[in-house]
Amino acid sequence: MLRFVLREAGRTGLGLAGAVLLAAAISALAMPGAGDGLWHFLVAWGRTLDAFAHLDFGHSAMTGATAREELAARLPLTLGLVLEGLLVALIVGIPIGFLFGAGPARRAAAPLVQVLSAAPIFCAGLALAFLAANLLHWPVPRGTGVAANLMLVPRNARDLEILLLPVLTVGLSGAAAAQLALRRAGAETARQPWRTQLRRMGLGAWEIETVYGVPQIFAGLLTDFGEVMLALFSAAAVAEWVFNYAGAADLFVKSVALHDWAIVSPILLSFAGLTMIADFIGRCAAYPLVATGAAP
Amino acid sequence: MTVATTTHAPTGTVSLHAILRIAGWIGLGLIAVAVSLSDFLANAPANATGIGPLLAAPSAEFRFGTDILGRDMLSETLHAMSATVRSALPATVVTLIAGALFGFVAARLPRSLALAVRSLVGILASLPALLLAVLVIGLTTRDWAAVAAGLSAAPFTFVRAFDRARIEERATHSEYARATGISASTLLRRDLVYEFSDTILSSAARALAAVTLVLSTVSFLGFGAVPPHRDLGLMIAAAKPYFLHAWWTAAFPAAALTLLILFARLAAGLDEGERA
Repeated sequence: MLRFVLREAGRTGLGLAGAVLLAAAISALAMPGAGDGLWHFLVAWGRTLDAFAHLDFGHSAMTGATAREELAARLPLTLGLVLEGLLVALIVGIPIGFLFGAGPARRAAAPLVQVLSAAPIFCAGLALAFLAANLLHWPVPRGTGVAANLMLVPRNARDLEILLLPVLTVGLSGAAAAQLALRRAGAETARQPWRTQLRRMGLGAWEIETVYGVPQIFAGLLTDFGEVMLALFSAAAVAEWVFNYAGAADLFVKSVALHDWAIVSPILLSFAGLTMIADFIGRCAAYPLVATGAAP
Repeated sequence: MTVATTTHAPTGTVSLHAILRIAGWIGLGLIAVAVSLSDFLANAPANATGIGPLLAAPSAEFRFGTDILGRDMLSETLHAMSATVRSALPATVVTLIAGALFGFVAARLPRSLALAVRSLVGILASLPALLLAVLVIGLTTRDWAAVAAGLSAAPFTFVRAFDRARIEERATHSEYARATGISASTLLRRDLVYEFSDTILSSAARALAAVTLVLSTVSFLGFGAVPPHRDLGLMIAAAKPYFLHAWWTAAFPAAALTLLILFARLAAGLDEGERA
């Protein structure tokens, strides 16, 4: 186990180092003279890396605020959205994943799952907004107007109504990714030869599923935790855009449009780093289940 | 990131799998016909305003209704579908070359170099494809949206191709080939021919689904198609201010987009739980 964790930690560390290099390269574009040739760019890159080492990510070309200040204001909103979305993803995705990913319903549900997972997340977000506005009469922002502040802890029913739509949009995207992971693991587990051996040993189908199958399927979900996080961050960018919330993903999109690279790079680094860390945690958590789980 | 290994469906599911795959190709074929004949099938040229009343609901005259500028939504959806497919096709080629082909070849490089390239691409794979595409467009121009979408979908395809090629490299036939003195380049050519002749259609359909999703989303966010050349993502974005009381302005382009992605996914014959 320790060897596995160390190996995965090394892999994650290398990935994080690469992400820092990439983010510094993007941030270097904001430095004066960086576009005057390869040598100037390399010099700017080196300076940016040095600044990164001192946690100095530069200043926004638009607002003049430091990238750290911008990030401190916006990143918690996106992280809150992603965490609440993750909660929805697990609450919705795990039961659906087990319902359609294990047992006799798995094959029958395949076409339905294909149809549902084909819908782009922004279409799903707009559909949710339409239903909420017309059936429940909830407030839904229109157009690209002024960004509203996201209340991560709703103080009243109105706040909850505003919060639920983006959280549900992000959560549904995460749920789709989670149930894909569960289906994948379910299909893998269904093909394992130990099932036949356990049946020959006299174990019932229910016992095989619950005692041996479920841990393997959960391990599959944990192994793909990084992929679920990727889906959540991607959905957060869309949800923040659709519902006009001023989070870090929304800031990323606007900063790229304005070529404000000093802001783009730390956001990218944060998302890549969090995804890699989630991947690492998921793999480490899955290891005991895979190593000591079903295969008898 | 982990990548689902290609596995074959159990015998019992082969028929359903095959039927869905054929349905996917038929659907893509129908879309190809509609796209090719979009100028003929559409009642109005692209972006023609004042064709009907403003925001008219679907009726016998305007089957998909009209939008805020009186444009016929059926015609606009057909033209936008055409624009989406025309951008998605080169993006698919980029994904196949930068992802599938490069991944397969990179796996046969000297071990340390191969792993270095794999790690580098793995970093890109840990970024959401959507944000990667937005970044590439930001670093270039919107004219490069198709290339950006193709490149952003490539890391995942690269990793999958790389891992499959590593398995192939350790296969029995490779060991025999090396033992009998067949050169590495000959073995690579042989494996590439087998790999792509077996999976090119499936890989292309899978890449088409992935890039269409990215392209339409970047257009929705304002980084893709430029008016008046609207694709489905931009059409849906344009409907955002008034779709709450005129559902047809967003629903039909969204349905067309979902169908395109669905058919591509079905045609790819994805295994259970496999992502495009």
